Amino acid sequence: MENAWLIPLFPLLSFLFLLLFGKKLKEASAYVGILLTLASLVYSVIVLVGRLTNDTYKAEADWLQIGNLQLTVGFEVNQLNALMLVIVSLVSFLVHTYSKGYMHGDERFPVFYAYLGLFTFAMLGLVLSPNLLQTYIFWELVGVGSFLLIGFYFHKDSAKAAAKKAFIMTRIGDVGLLIGMILLFWQTGSFEYDEIFASVQAGEVSGTMITLTSILIFVGAVGKSGQFPLHTWLPDAMEGPTPVSALIHAATMVAAGVYLVATMFPVFAASETAMATVAIVGAVTAIFAATIGLTQTDIKRVLAYSTVSQLGYMMLALGAAGYVAGVFHLMTHAFFKALLFLAAGSVIHAVHTQDIEKMGGLWKRLKFTAPLFLIGTLAISGVPLLSGFFSKDEILIAAWANGNYVLFWLAVIAAFFTAFYMFRLFFMVFTGKPRSEYKNVHESPASMTGPMVVLGILAVISGYVNTPWFGTFLGDWLVEGNEALGHGHIEGPAWIMIVATLVSLAGIYLAYLMYMKRSLAQDWFTSRAPTVYSIVNNKYFIDEIYQSTIVYATKAVSLFLRFIELFLVEGLVKSVTGIVQGLGKLGAKLQNGQVQAYGTVAFVGLAVLMLIFALTGGYL
Amino acid sequence: MDLETLLSFDWGLMAPEFIILIATVILTLLDLFLPKKVDRKLLGWLGFASVLLAIAALTGLLDNPLGSILHDTFRLDAFAKAFKLLLLVGSALVLLLAIDYESKEGLTEYRGEFYYLFLTGLLGAMIMSSSGDLITLFVGLETLSISSYILAGLRKKNLKSNESAMKYVINGSISTAITLFGMSYLYGITGSTNLKEMSDMLMSISDSQHIYLLGLAFFMVFVGLSFKLASVPFHMWAPDVYEGAATPVTAFLSVVSKIAGFVILIRVMVSIFASVPMEDGTTPMLFALQDFIGFLAAVTMILGNVVALRQRNIKRMFAYSSIAHAGYLLVAFTAMSYVMFDSIWFYMLAYVFMNLGAFAIIQLVTMKTGSEDISEFAGLYRRSPILAVTMGVFILSLAGIPGTAGFIGKLNIFLGALMVNPSHYVLASIMIGATVISYFYYFGILSQVFFRPTATGEETKVKVPVGTTVVIILCAAATILFGVMPQLAFDFLQTNFEQFIDFMG
Repeated sequence: MENAWLIPLFPLLSFLFLLLFGKKLKEASAYVGILLTLASLVYSVIVLVGRLTNDTYKAEADWLQIGNLQLTVGFEVNQLNALMLVIVSLVSFLVHTYSKGYMHGDERFPVFYAYLGLFTFAMLGLVLSPNLLQTYIFWELVGVGSFLLIGFYFHKDSAKAAAKKAFIMTRIGDVGLLIGMILLFWQTGSFEYDEIFASVQAGEVSGTMITLTSILIFVGAVGKSGQFPLHTWLPDAMEGPTPVSALIHAATMVAAGVYLVATMFPVFAASETAMATVAIVGAVTAIFAATIGLTQTDIKRVLAYSTVSQLGYMMLALGAAGYVAGVFHLMTHAFFKALLFLAAGSVIHAVHTQDIEKMGGLWKRLKFTAPLFLIGTLAISGVPLLSGFFSKDEILIAAWANGNYVLFWLAVIAAFFTAFYMFRLFFMVFTGKPRSEYKNVHESPASMTGPMVVLGILAVISGYVNTPWFGTFLGDWLVEGNEALGHGHIEGPAWIMIVATLVSLAGIYLAYLMYMKRSLAQDWFTSRAPTVYSIVNNKYFIDEIYQSTIVYATKAVSLFLRFIELFLVEGLVKSVTGIVQGLGKLGAKLQNGQVQAYGTVAFVGLAVLMLIFALTGGYL
Repeated sequence: MDLETLLSFDWGLMAPEFIILIATVILTLLDLFLPKKVDRKLLGWLGFASVLLAIAALTGLLDNPLGSILHDTFRLDAFAKAFKLLLLVGSALVLLLAIDYESKEGLTEYRGEFYYLFLTGLLGAMIMSSSGDLITLFVGLETLSISSYILAGLRKKNLKSNESAMKYVINGSISTAITLFGMSYLYGITGSTNLKEMSDMLMSISDSQHIYLLGLAFFMVFVGLSFKLASVPFHMWAPDVYEGAATPVTAFLSVVSKIAGFVILIRVMVSIFASVPMEDGTTPMLFALQDFIGFLAAVTMILGNVVALRQRNIKRMFAYSSIAHAGYLLVAFTAMSYVMFDSIWFYMLAYVFMNLGAFAIIQLVTMKTGSEDISEFAGLYRRSPILAVTMGVFILSLAGIPGTAGFIGKLNIFLGALMVNPSHYVLASIMIGATVISYFYYFGILSQVFFRPTATGEETKVKVPVGTTVVIILCAAATILFGVMPQLAFDFLQTNFEQFIDFMG
């Protein structure tokens, strides 16, 4: 563990090497990236195994002295970041491998791998940071990396716009983080996590200050993790290449916000208001994004909204004092969502469209991708025995145990929606008849299916490290030696698990009725003869009730929320930028090029200053 | 003053100034007598060599204890040394740029003029940083100013250049008048022009009418000097002059001249107004009036960044950006924490490298077509990836992204503003907000560089002359080095300047 600092350096090396020699290596660049991330992965696993038996390891060196202020750099290996290291390096390694097939033939192939290296470096560095300042530095670097990757297809205007939007929206959050961080520093005199926690626990920081700083830090997490209302960049960020979406928008960068809250958990836990804010924002995001996900027709956008929604779950868990539940879901989600994105990429690779209205009947043609996609869908829907089931269950129990009944039911409804829209996606893509003509649909190469298989296995089994039946190994380990993080396992009523299962099955069944059999329903819809025969014989009458009531209602709500998102949230952002732009216009107008005006401004400025001085000083 | 006293002074203290002065004289004579066909770039290299020599001389003086000659009108304290070093390094870089500068109008005729005017400007700035007397301060200030006026108008056949020089002169005269008026109050009250004597005298002042007059003088001096800083309310000349002047001159104005402005501001304000007690008898005037400076700093930051958003001309954009940077520096000046000197020095160090690096690339890109629209940067990444990446480094640093010197500079100022009691958290927050606004236009440049194809579709490589290459490499290396290992610079400060304790000595 003493050499854990090497882990981020491998991808950095990959970045630098490919930046310099990428042009010569062409597509052989992939091997450089893959090998170096494999090194990170192997080392991360060694570190994780080491952390299982040893204590937390921390090393620091002086970095900067300002006056008598000493700032340090270093790294720390505790339970949370040992786990994160493995998640990040594993997903990154798989994405590196997958991209070899996916990006094949792109003229900027080496550049793509260089960017991937930079991003992975930043993310691993973020995870290892032992203090807020270093975290912030890598946090920004992660932003730069994602900016480059989202805008990779820069010849597309939409990609350019999305990259810019992602950067600026997350910046808004970062301002919160920076201010919160500086305030904490001001209060506790340190950026070090352990010193901050110690000082908070010793009661040296006032209650309001804890609330204020944790909410400000949470604002940073909201931006990065795409929580309401700063989530709009995430769906747009789907303009980037699909492997990027799997890496950044499923497993790593968006999880950074959750990771930050988890890392700062002792501070958050010291303020009820902050915890409630986190929980409410999480739950609202979970249901809000799930509802919008119901009506999207772009395969990646559906997954994007589902990511936003799942991240909301994690926040809800953390806000409801379910530290373990949040981190657990972060892990399982990383696997199944990366799987879903990679499988979606494989589908896009095969049919060259992202519009699910144009897909259908791909089950037989994509023999590998389809079952893997199904596994991911089952996992995210919370079907029993798969990983998502256990982690979602933990979150629901945490919400219930914390007494947030409203939030609990919101989460249950969101779970229902999740199952519904994910299976809607699945049925529309893989079942029924093709809705457009495909040309030479082919299964993806082994470099793409291989990583999917690994993730598929993990999506099934990774839940078993923390189950109510076989022991809560992960939970016990995560909180070991740190009481501030709460219990390793929260006991909850058994009916919650049953409700969760029923809800997810109901969502799947509804999706089945509507999208698997919808050709029949549509027939009925067009030949709407009100005869007894058709009423009696039409076994899909129930569909129609759904169709005309619940579905229309949800559709309306979904559209309404999308409307809010478009006009209210983005409108707010736009009006802020508008005001700034307007001020700029005004300022530029004042600059009229006349030298008299310049002198006047200086003189009037001077006069006003002197006048105010004279008045406030009581000299006049 | 007889010869004996004159000879008794330790003239070695002025070695760097003498080197520059002698070089100026030699360059003037050479320019006059050398045949027309001799390339005047030779003079540029001579000037460059003299600046290097001056740096060497100054390095030799670093260990000298506080010394003063000419009856304390010229003093060589840690403050003078530290900031003179910045001025010299900045000038050396600007000279390298100037040697490679080719404008459309053809600068051949006036190239020689440029170099020796540049050196006189530098000489003025150096004298300002070393002066212990209002008279020498003012002489240095005017030497710098008058040289800059001519430099701004050097492109004689360019209308914009003429206009900008005219505006610069008029505004400059106004500012000089205001500054002088303020200084005359100071002289009137204390009867001395020596900063130290004035400070001693002012410590014991208690008459409220005098304090009132000193307050007025405070504002006059501050506003007058804000011309050199290009900060509100005396900022409006900057965009026009920056746009009109030749690019190396713009680089000179935005870096060397601005540093000189801060040097004189700190020298005068801290020496004099930190000694004036307000009526309560304890708070010095400089601290009592912090809110005013803080307000001006805030307006400067906001205005600079907000108006920069509207600019399409890269040099105008950098003019506003330099206004904003003056605002950040004023935040440090407002807070007056005990790390004020360090943080201002470090910020300027970072600013020298990141801004001059950016100007090097601006000069390269705009020189070819003569257009200064930011769309000239489109597709730079395709034309020459290395230039694009280094430009990226400079822009990220100007924007204050971690990993670059610019970030450390902002962080220092920021922590300084919070360190003092009562802390200036409102000002600090405004600074963050203004920084965020600046991302918009900085990233506008970056997206031109990286994400746009060239307008014409041609992808010819940009040729980089030797001098400019050196500037770019040095600046990029320093920007990253001081971003990753800022302790190097702070250690240097610690060992050589010992917290500037001899400033008031």
